[in-house]
Parts: sequence; C-alpha cells; structure tokens
Amino acid sequence: MIEQALASLAERTRFVDETVSNAAAQHLTPHLETPFAVCAVGGYGRRELFPYSDIDLLVLAESESGLAAIKEPLSHFLRVIWDCGLHASQSVRTIADCCRLHEQNIELHISLLDLRFVSGSASLFERLTSGLPAFYRKHENKLIDELAGMAAKRHAKFNNTVYHLEPSIKEAPGGFRDIHLLHWMSLLAHERGRIQEALEAIEGPRRFLTAVRCFLHSASKRDNNLLSFELQDKISADWLNESADPAEWMRLYYRNARQVFHAALRALEFAELKDPSIARQFRDWRARLSTSEFTVSHERIFLRNAAYTLNSAESALELFTFTARHGIPLSWDAQRRVSSDAELPPRFLSQPPPWNAWREFFSQPHVAMALRQMQDTGLLSAAIPHWHAVECLVVRDFYHRYTVDEHSIVAIEVIDQLGLKPEFSVRFRQLLLEEEDRASLRLALLLHDVGKGTRPGDHVQGSLEAASDVFERLSVPPQNRETIEFLIAHHLDLSKVMTRRDLDDPATGRFLTSQIPTQEQLRRLALLTYADISAVNPTAMTPWRLEQLWRAYSACQEQLTRELITNRIDREQGASLAAGQSPELAAFLEGFPTRYLRTHTAAQVRRHFELDQKRRREGTAVSITQDSGAFLLTVLASDQPGLFAKLCGALACRGMNILKAEASSNSNGCILDLIRFSDPLRNLELNPDEVIRLEWTVECVLRGSLSVADLIKQRRHAPRPSSGSKVMPSVRFSNEASDDCTLIDFTGEDRPGLLYDMTSAISAAGCNIELVLVDTEAHKAMDVFYLTQAGGKLDEGAAQGLLEELKRVAMPV
Amino acid sequence: MKKIEAIIQPHKLDEVRDALKNIGVDGLTISEVRGHGRQKGHKEVYRGMEYEVDLLPKIKIETVVPDARKDEVTRAISSAARTGKIGDGKIFVFDVAEAIRIRNDDSGELAL
Repeated sequence: MIEQALASLAERTRFVDETVSNAAAQHLTPHLETPFAVCAVGGYGRRELFPYSDIDLLVLAESESGLAAIKEPLSHFLRVIWDCGLHASQSVRTIADCCRLHEQNIELHISLLDLRFVSGSASLFERLTSGLPAFYRKHENKLIDELAGMAAKRHAKFNNTVYHLEPSIKEAPGGFRDIHLLHWMSLLAHERGRIQEALEAIEGPRRFLTAVRCFLHSASKRDNNLLSFELQDKISADWLNESADPAEWMRLYYRNARQVFHAALRALEFAELKDPSIARQFRDWRARLSTSEFTVSHERIFLRNAAYTLNSAESALELFTFTARHGIPLSWDAQRRVSSDAELPPRFLSQPPPWNAWREFFSQPHVAMALRQMQDTGLLSAAIPHWHAVECLVVRDFYHRYTVDEHSIVAIEVIDQLGLKPEFSVRFRQLLLEEEDRASLRLALLLHDVGKGTRPGDHVQGSLEAASDVFERLSVPPQNRETIEFLIAHHLDLSKVMTRRDLDDPATGRFLTSQIPTQEQLRRLALLTYADISAVNPTAMTPWRLEQLWRAYSACQEQLTRELITNRIDREQGASLAAGQSPELAAFLEGFPTRYLRTHTAAQVRRHFELDQKRRREGTAVSITQDSGAFLLTVLASDQPGLFAKLCGALACRGMNILKAEASSNSNGCILDLIRFSDPLRNLELNPDEVIRLEWTVECVLRGSLSVADLIKQRRHAPRPSSGSKVMPSVRFSNEASDDCTLIDFTGEDRPGLLYDMTSAISAAGCNIELVLVDTEAHKAMDVFYLTQAGGKLDEGAAQGLLEELKRVAMPV
Repeated sequence: MKKIEAIIQPHKLDEVRDALKNIGVDGLTISEVRGHGRQKGHKEVYRGMEYEVDLLPKIKIETVVPDARKDEVTRAISSAARTGKIGDGKIFVFDVAEAIRIRNDDSGELAL
C-alpha cells in the first residue's frame, strides 16, 4: 500500500508538470515578450501532490514592469489548468521580491524552500535560485524562530498531543506539518546535522503517513485530512483485513505519529538552543536548579551521571520526580539515554520503586508532564503493566476527544493546573488546597479507566482489579489503597447525580452520603470528577456542568455535616463490630459518630480502646505519636468543662501549631480528642524526651495541677506565620443541622493559640462542645463545632452573642 | 405551526423526553442553559469565601409541532417536569412562519 501510494504521488506530479508546461507553452510563451518562469512551490514543489490537493504555483517575472503584461495571458493559462480539474493557487513575483524579507508573509519564504522549475525561462529561474541561499543565510535565525513559533502554536491548538480519537493527519502533532517542519529546518539550518539525523529517523513514519493521506484523499474524494471513525473503519479493513479491529490499526497510526512528533520536538529544542536572545538567557535562570545528578540548561534536564541515574528503577524515578517537581522536561539527549537503556524497563518490572518514592512523585505539581515522559520512554507501562492495555486505545465516544491513556493523563494535568493557576475554578481550587493526599488522588486518576482496556463492558471492575495488582507491585499502604479503591469504584457517581437527581431534594444528599461516607472522600471524589469531566475535551467543563457538580458536592457536604452528630454507632452496631472480641469494646464504640469508624483503621480503634482502659484506671490517657510528618495527640478523658480548650491551650503554650482536630464522645461519657499538630521549632523531633514532657503537661492540665492561663503567661510569643493577605473571620450558626445541637461553622486566619482562644470563648459562654472538626489550609482555619447549652440548642440571642465573640477573638491583628 | 420552548430542571430531562416520545414527538433540540426567575440569585458561602450564585443550571427543550398538537405537547411537558416546587420552569409557545427541510426543500408541516 505504501509503495502504491508513493508511485501515485510521483505519477500525479508528472501529470501536473506536463499539464502546466503545456498550458504555459500555449498561453504564456507566445504572448510574453519579457522572460518568465513557472515554478512549483509548497507541496507541489516537493512532489508531494496528493489526490485532490491544490497546486501552488509561482510565476516569476524579471521586473516590476513586466507584471502588467502578464495579467491577461495568465488568466487564460489558469483557466486551462482549472479546466483540467486542478485547483491552482498562484502568485506572481519578481526575483527582488522573493529575496526581500516579508515580515507579514513568512509563509512565502517557507514555500520558496521547495521551489522547483516547471516551465519558461531556465536562466531566470537560475538567477533566483542563485540569489536565495544568501537570503536564507542572512535570515536563518529569524525564519527558524518563526517556524518554531508557528509549530508551537499549532501543537497547542491540539493540546500538544498525538492521541486524538479522530486526528487531523496534517495539522495535529505528529502529522505532516511536523514532517515539513523538520524538512524546512534541515534546509534552513546552517548546522543541520542533528535535524537531518531526526529527519532520516522518521523516514518510515513519513512513508506510512503518506500512504494514509493518499487513502484519505482518495476515499473522501477531496482534500480531507481528518481520520474520522468512518475512515478508520475503511482504512483498517483495506490495510489489514475486513475483520480487523480499527482500534488496533489506530495503535499503528499513533506509534508512527508519536515518532514524528518526538522528532519535531527535537527540532524545536534545537531552535531554542540557537536562540541567543536576552529573553532566552533570562529564562535560563532555572539553571540554578541543577543538582549533582542533573543539569538544567535551556529549560531542559540533562543527565550528569547517566550510569548512576539509570542504575536502578528508584534512581530513574528520581529523574522523573525532578521533572514533576520543577515542570522541566527531559532534554532530547536524556530521553534518548533513558529510552535506549534496555535494562531499565525490566528493572521497573521486577523491582519497582517503593511506595514512598511513588508518593513523592505523585505529590509534585507537574506530574502529568513527568508521566508523559515516562510513557514516551516506555517506563510507565514497565512500572504499571496494566497501562499497556490502554496505551493508544481508541474507545469511540461522541464527547471524548482523546485516547484512554491520554484522557487519564490530561485529567491529572487538570489537577496540576488547578493547583498552579488561580484563574481555574476558585471553588475547586479551594478543595484542592484542602487536600493533603494528592498522591492517592492522582494515582486514582491514572488508574480509573484502565479497565477500558482490561475489561471492556465493566471498566470500573476492570480498573479495580488492575488497581489491586498495582497496590501489590508498588507496596501501597492500606489507607491509600482504600482511598484509591473508593475513588475508582465511585468515579461516575457525582456526574450521574448532577444530571439525574433533584439537587434541591434532601433525599439526594442522603443518597449521596450513603455512597460517600466522609468529607475527605467527598472532597477527593469531587476533585476527581472535576478532572475527569474536564479531560473529556477542552470545552466539556462548561459553566453549566461546573455549577451542577458544585451543587451535587454541596448537597452531600451539607448532609455529611448534619450526620456528624446525628449518625452514631448504636448498641447493636457496637456489638456486631466487637463480635468475637471483648464486650467492653462494644461498650466503648457505642455512641461515637459513625464517621469515627470510617476514618480510622481497625488498628487505630484497637489502640484507642487500649487507651480507654488506661483512662478507666487512671482517669485520663494521653499519647503523642508521630504521624506523616506531624504529631498526633490522642486523649481519652471523662467529660469536664472546657476540656477541649485546655488541650488546645496546652499545645499552644508549647508553641505547637494545630493542623486538624476531632473531638467526640461515646455513650459512657468518654471523650476522645484527636489533635494533629506540627512543631514549627522541631523541638519534639530534636529532643525525644520533650514528647514525654508534653504528654505530662497535657495530663497535668487535665487533672488541674497546671493552669493553662499560667502556662500561656510564661509562653514566649511565637512568630506569626507570614501571610500575603488577611483572612477575615466568617462565622455562621444553624439550629437546623441537628435535633439537639447548634452548629457553628467558622473560617478565619489561623494563628498560634487561635483554637485555644475560640474554645475558651465557647466555654466562657457556658457552651459544651459535643463534637468538633478542625482543619487548616495554609493560613486559613476551618472549624465546625456542634454545641449545646444547658443540655439543648443555643437560643438565637446566645448564638448571636457567641458569634460576635468568636469573630472578635479571631480578628486578624 | 408552533414552536414550544420549555425551561425545565436538569434532572427532569429523561422524564420529559420519554413523555414526548410516548406521544410521538421525536424531534427535539436540547441545550444546557443557566438563568434565574423572579427569585434572582443568592450568595453562597463556602469556607469563608463568598460566591455569587446568580444563574442556576436548567435545561432548555425546543420543538416545533403542528398547531393541533400544541396543547397535547405542552401538557406532556408540564406533567412530566412538575415537582410542585419553585424552580420547576416555564413553557413558552411561539408562532412559526415557515419550516424548510434543508435536505430536500420540504416545507411547512411536511418538514417537521
């Protein structure tokens, strides 16, 4: 098929040359007194005349004075050509005109690179061809720069990817325009060795694409370069056989297009390296990011010690983590070294890097860029073998624009950009800022559609099965597994609800909370859904869908907040959860919010139960442990006035910064307070004995032998965290959220001791904290309190008074 | 001929489409739109940040039917889209001067 296509191009060129020559001999030569030449330019000049393609002609005149005389004979000449069924585009120029830079018509100079004599005065043509090299030498950098700019714009129009379900084989990345880019740059560049090498490397893909384009033009009977689903069916049947799967043929297309695209990127990198401008040098400030292993130059990563970096899968992953951290791609040379190392894929397959390395990788801000580079170098499917099933996979869908693998990477890119670009949806950006486990979110996005390749028809189940294997390979810890499994299993839930359920109906909120049990899971699922919809095509996330998704999120969030206090573990549930274990465990569990079970592992519940036994013996039980880069204070105590405020005060007076907190109680009056805090001065980390001292301080405060007020007086004021803008406090209350309690929802600027001041104000107002959920994001504190006063809800006046007091204590200084 | 334009709640689309299909109305144009009625917009606060929610998502259904079917079609839409709550939407009926099928130049009711 390829040979046939190449022969047909040669035949058509020969036919057109003959037609043009005859027409010129008949209508130009007898009527023109001054010399002229008819030249082929553009695709016709390259002898790349596809069926039904236009033919580009340049009519060369000796001087300006000869141009007027050419007008009438030229119209007869063109009429004959059109009558032969050829679509001609012509321009008439002098030699001087061709050798003068046209800033607004760079395309003219590019088309003249493919200049070829067809008819007329050979000596006039030779005068032009002898003048052009000097012109191109003079303007080499300018023209290469313009070419690179046009190519970059064209790539961006197609989202910089070859993986379109219905690609344009001319304009899309990896299409003919990229081959032309290399061809033109090889003609323009003074040092053309590397470009020539790249051009020669894509000779196979060029022949392949030539045959495809011939087929498209012939089958469509016009100059059509869109490889539509219908034409994919036809070409697959024609190229392979009638029963062949068009998706398999498309994989062949993507493999060829990918090679062309990479070669084009290599040419663009070459163009950038040539650019000596001050702006270019300024952009090179990132060279300071260079490390002992990697050099950063001209916005590319080069390997300093390839033997070391490629020695193990873990050190190779560090290279991609560097890309993901700084958003700098690998240089062509680094990519070549990684791709050509035959030992690396087996190392990723047999000894994949441990989860800690992957967690570091998936937590960076430019993960999508790094994943694309891993895919291009073949390491992504080596690390995650199931990925191979969706690589270049076309699943036909009216709305989807990309292949399954590209869709998943674009979805991760949406999350990356949401974190980096403030112009993206403010509300979802806020959710992302609150999200701590971005690694699980991104891994879930990577795997959520893998089932489309492994188990078509039930892709959710297929993706879950694949995820299970990935967890084993990468040693993903149980908590992250649970998160990722939940996200994959429910990744379609919110998008279904947002269009099929009445979002104003409280039943919708209850339905959602039956599927999504905690605020943390809801937040991640909303982010995943946002990314999944946005990655369908560039216009899929309309303001309409954005609003509907947010309304679905809000309905569920509101219901989850209500259920914090109303949904408690009852006696029966407690007994069933403790079946086969101690009856005391059942009694311990009874009365805690059901959220407690959803947010804690069995091991954590067991640990709390052990602490409760200590509480029953000694009155209180206090424990401080390290927890993912922070510390966790666990306190079990009998209820007492201002308990939570005392704990906050004890931590604040030792300079600790509270990040998250939860306080709840069971039916036996046992209070369980969990406070996650950071130690900005690293006191606990550097002096392990300080942990015991802090535990002792907390115990003394709870027993009343130390007063928080006295401790606060002794405290040296910790420096306030720097903050670009102040967050004004916002407090609202609701008596509708629960049958027995008043809900206080607070947001304000965080500062050391803020929670102590607020909880003290609550205690001073005679309120009891029944349940609390505290969160911080950068300098913003976000707290939910469920309060009672004298055993019931706060009345309107008391609630308003407390709101004003909370606003006062939280007002930024 | 009448053009019937209905603004309905998004979750009612399937029911309305089924109701119209059941009475033999297959030709529809459906758009995702946003707007508000007399209530205008409201402010929403999330984590201390205020968001103006002035345009609520709705679905717009458009169809053109012979004059004689106007009441039957509006009744079908109305009963399928009704929940009884504020925000159920509106139906508008317009006179249509002409309809032409582009493919073969059929005109009038024949083009519907």
